[in-house]
Amino acid sequence: MTNKKEDIDVKLIKHIQEGLPVTKTPYKDIGQALGMSEEEVIQRLQKLLESGKVRRLAASIAHRKIGINANAMCVWKVPKEQVDEVGEIMAGFEEVTHCYERPVYSDWEYNVFTMIHGYTDAECEAVIQAIKKKTGLNDYVILYSEKEFKKVGVRI
Amino acid sequence: MILCDTDRKILHRLQSNLPLVSRPFLALSKELDIDEDTIIERVKFMIEKGYVRRLAPIINTQAMGREATLAAMTVPEDRIEEVSVIINEYSGVSHNYLRKGRNTHIPYNMWFTMSARDDEELHCLLKEIEGRTGLTVRSLPTTKKFKIGVRFKIY
Repeated sequence: MTNKKEDIDVKLIKHIQEGLPVTKTPYKDIGQALGMSEEEVIQRLQKLLESGKVRRLAASIAHRKIGINANAMCVWKVPKEQVDEVGEIMAGFEEVTHCYERPVYSDWEYNVFTMIHGYTDAECEAVIQAIKKKTGLNDYVILYSEKEFKKVGVRI
Repeated sequence: MILCDTDRKILHRLQSNLPLVSRPFLALSKELDIDEDTIIERVKFMIEKGYVRRLAPIINTQAMGREATLAAMTVPEDRIEEVSVIINEYSGVSHNYLRKGRNTHIPYNMWFTMSARDDEELHCLLKEIEGRTGLTVRSLPTTKKFKIGVRFKIY
């Protein structure tokens, strides 16, 4: 964050990262608070989305509160040469919210991580069965969250 | 559960981008066939009641120049609370869970995500946690992303 443009973007994000005003004209209201025009707020947000610095301007849902109680992290042992193909297949499932490749260690051989959210454990397990069938993979561990110590959105 | 069909419809749509137009909720009202005032009122209600954590930019830490990792630790049963308190102190920690392997024993039980200004700071913070807890922190940074987008099926 060295140039002025980025400083203003950071200021904008910091101003709205706890929540946009829920009003008829939120961008105008943000602009008023920061001393910029509605057009400038919209343009800056547009650019932040295009550059990928902001993934989405969207609602973060308290998933447990609306009944999505199961949250399974399923980790898979995938041969290196199959990672790309398998990763795409896994990502194609609606219930798979995150899918990443991560490094392995001497005591950790699971290289592909999938986060699966469902209304019940059974729903998550059905997704895992479907992934197994579609990929032919059999070496995996399901890690359910036993306790949530912290969960907050990323802030800058 | 006290969310009505209207709320669910709004919630489902709001997991994707809020339109970048002068009156975004008016734009949504056309898409959803719910009037603007109702949408605003229901969104406020869902935020107030905690169904929606926030309506805000979802930041890509790496694109913002930050570094992030998933860290895993093996914490003895009788130290779980104490260690979780230490980890949660760090503002770069966004998630921290106790997890157990369902079908196979796994070596780690505490899993947290941490972001920092850069690689050096990230490394330094993880080392600091090791020092404060006397336990090893295993860092599992993403090497390839296939999907990131927490949108839930609302029904």
